Amino acid sequence: MNPLLTLLQINDSVFPIGSFTHSYGLETYIHKGIVHDSKSTEAYAEKMLRYNFFYNDAAFFYETWKICDKKALKQKLIELDSFITSLKSPYEIREASKKLAIRFLKVVENFQSVRRCKTYLEAIQAGEAHGHYAMAFAMYAHAQNITLEDALSAFYYNSLNGIVTNCAKLVPISQMDGQKILFKLQSLIKELVDKQSDMDTDMIGNCCVVQDIRCMQHEKLYTRIYIS
Amino acid sequence: MDSIIKINVEREGNRSLLKESYHNAPYKLTHYGSPRAQDHLEMIIMSASPGILDKDSLVIDVHVKESAHLKLFTQSFNKLHPMKEGASQETNVRLDRDSVFNYVPHPVTPFKDSIFKTVNTIHIDDDATLIWGDIISAGRIHRNEVFAFQKLHSITRIYKDGKLLVTDNQCLLPREQPVSDLLFFEGYTHQATLFYCGPFAKLMKDEMDEILTMEYEDVSFGFTECADNTLMLRAVGTDGELLYSFLTMLAQMCWVFTHDQLAVKAEETTKLEAEVAQRDMAGTDLEKKEVRSVVAKKANTLKKTESKGVTSKTVDTKTAVKKKTVSKGEKIVKKDTERKTSKKAV
Repeated sequence: MNPLLTLLQINDSVFPIGSFTHSYGLETYIHKGIVHDSKSTEAYAEKMLRYNFFYNDAAFFYETWKICDKKALKQKLIELDSFITSLKSPYEIREASKKLAIRFLKVVENFQSVRRCKTYLEAIQAGEAHGHYAMAFAMYAHAQNITLEDALSAFYYNSLNGIVTNCAKLVPISQMDGQKILFKLQSLIKELVDKQSDMDTDMIGNCCVVQDIRCMQHEKLYTRIYIS
Repeated sequence: MDSIIKINVEREGNRSLLKESYHNAPYKLTHYGSPRAQDHLEMIIMSASPGILDKDSLVIDVHVKESAHLKLFTQSFNKLHPMKEGASQETNVRLDRDSVFNYVPHPVTPFKDSIFKTVNTIHIDDDATLIWGDIISAGRIHRNEVFAFQKLHSITRIYKDGKLLVTDNQCLLPREQPVSDLLFFEGYTHQATLFYCGPFAKLMKDEMDEILTMEYEDVSFGFTECADNTLMLRAVGTDGELLYSFLTMLAQMCWVFTHDQLAVKAEETTKLEAEVAQRDMAGTDLEKKEVRSVVAKKANTLKKTESKGVTSKTVDTKTAVKKKTVSKGEKIVKKDTERKTSKKAV
């Protein structure tokens, strides 16, 4: 299989895993009028990648990748899985990660079975593991001979694309502005990918307090279009 | 300076008592008020030092043994003085079966140039209850030292029966991060976190869903079920005292709720035991056996349903308890709002 095409496919925003149903707290920001135009969208997107995603999902992705590189045992994956579960405090964020992981693993299982992915899916279904999207994505990309740099860049892009698409729908911002943000933040993605391996272990899972609160407040929003 | 505080609490009869404890300078551990004023134990950590200085390290070990109840207080704001190398604090907590531990220390106030790392490791046995809070401020706000510290890293790990349940990792680096901006403090100057972990956390979440429906001007908060039977509340505000009283009020609600629920549980157990004893007295050996098995079954179902909160008897008592706690909560919330408005008026 062609690694590039596989990456494009699993990273597509219409890949049927339901990622478009989650806003990860963004809906609260828009509801409160904090994110309200193209400028605030860009500021939010930039900060989310730099201060949240870098220390969380992207770091979890990288940790999974290292485990796959070492061909470590299932136990290592389960340990990482529970560590991530313990970090994702807001209920909806934790559940979003689980739902996406299960659906992702089920879809790719139909392409070409990857042993590690299958084991992970079975562990989630048996209740041994919680299930996290970042781990599932990394495991499958690793098995498809995609390079770490490409896979991780795509994973960042995927998240950024989610933010921009949600803002285009909710704020709303123009499609053109959305595309400009996507293009402009390419350099930030490169910067973050390049320094991903330098992270101190103690910094993994570093949280931004009010962002966490916004995710919790989402549970109580009066009107909600998104699940998280 | 390296300091240690050790606290061991054991239950004797109805009372929780302080056993082997230890502390060294500049800290002092003493009873908070009269030791005989209540059945549970109340202790306060005091310090003769103006705060935490460069290269200081403090280790706090707390062990609450089976069925013992401890409330631990602090004396004042934890002031972190200017530093070159940094100071650290390590808090280790062990909660044995059916114990209850409540700890909401005063806010941490990091002065200009301070560097601080605090690691909290909490091990909880099945059925033990943890009420844990922490508050971090931006610094000496009235001296224009807002986010003037170098680094503040706080890690809390809660394990239940040896399994990692919750990790809270927060590293504030004001010189590298836009800490007062979007995602971080968003204009607020104080942040607070409260954990309520234990067998009644799910029920408490239902309570809080009812009580905490308002939005306040001075405090923005959110709460969630951050793990099985664990409730997490996070709040941000602009007034340390206000946030501290908000958090201690919520912690007190959790404390009262836990004890009310424990009383309900104890009442049920006593009733069942009395039933067994009565029937034992009356019946023949054969009957006794039957009665015992029936009661055991009943106890079993009670245990199961209790966790879901659906037994008819418990429901009655629970609604009463709920009303009590809700009204208490509302009163405190009202008081708080009054305070806020009066402050505004001033």
